[in-house]
Amino acid sequence: MKRGRKFLWFLLINILPLYVLSEMLTASGALAYVSGFLAPVMSLWGLPPEAAAVLVAGMLVNLYAAAAVAAPLALSWQQVSVLGLILGIAHNLLVEAVVVRQLTPRYHALTWLRVVLGLAAGWLLALVIC
Amino acid sequence: MLSKLLGIIPGAAVDGLILCAEIAAVVLPLIIGYEMAKAYGVFERPWPRLRPALARLGLGPGALVPLLAGVFLGLLYGAGILVSASREQGLATGERLALAVFLVTCHAVVEDTAIFVLLGGSAFWILGPRLVLALGLTAWLARRARRHSAN
Repeated sequence: MKRGRKFLWFLLINILPLYVLSEMLTASGALAYVSGFLAPVMSLWGLPPEAAAVLVAGMLVNLYAAAAVAAPLALSWQQVSVLGLILGIAHNLLVEAVVVRQLTPRYHALTWLRVVLGLAAGWLLALVIC
Repeated sequence: MLSKLLGIIPGAAVDGLILCAEIAAVVLPLIIGYEMAKAYGVFERPWPRLRPALARLGLGPGALVPLLAGVFLGLLYGAGILVSASREQGLATGERLALAVFLVTCHAVVEDTAIFVLLGGSAFWILGPRLVLALGLTAWLARRARRHSAN
């Protein structure tokens, strides 16, 4: 029960502010402006340019942050699946590297492996389902 | 402009709260389920039938508990079990690397998948490739290690 209550707090603190920020950035056009530069790159994964913010939030923070940024974007099931696969493999990289380090001194290489593997798998999945 | 932006905060906050509630509805039962499985001693059982499968991944029987902890709980929630079990069981360097390769590719399978399924994604396409990649990469590493030691 204590774990459950802690988790609820964790959700509120992680999701609410990012969700509101994400909707504000979308409404103000700031997200569209910045992500305009990324459009050609993101189209490789069949994703709209705004999804770049989802990838950054997921890789550097965690999947709850990514969900908070992604939810207002109105993505198709294919796009959500591609994001889910990329981020499922490569998320929360900085914090999780600390745990991986306890297992192997090659945690640096493994972190890069996650990024490359995630992006490659997402690209293939986009080719298959989009 | 600014007042318009501030005006969307209440609506966005409500939407954000709904997302929180949806995630909580999925993940809280998972946390309870894990506590129950732990109470029943599921993680302490040796599961002898799994040994051949583990061996193909380059893992000995001692790696089962940390592997299960990582796959179902994730690197962070499972970290306590993961790190202490791999110390207590005296895992070899190669086993630790195999465990790390498997788990960085594929961990917290229920929770991570559920988050994106809530947003409309396909569980099959989110989880399937991760599992295949983790199994493939780890098995390939194990085969390579066996060949090296044979030479």
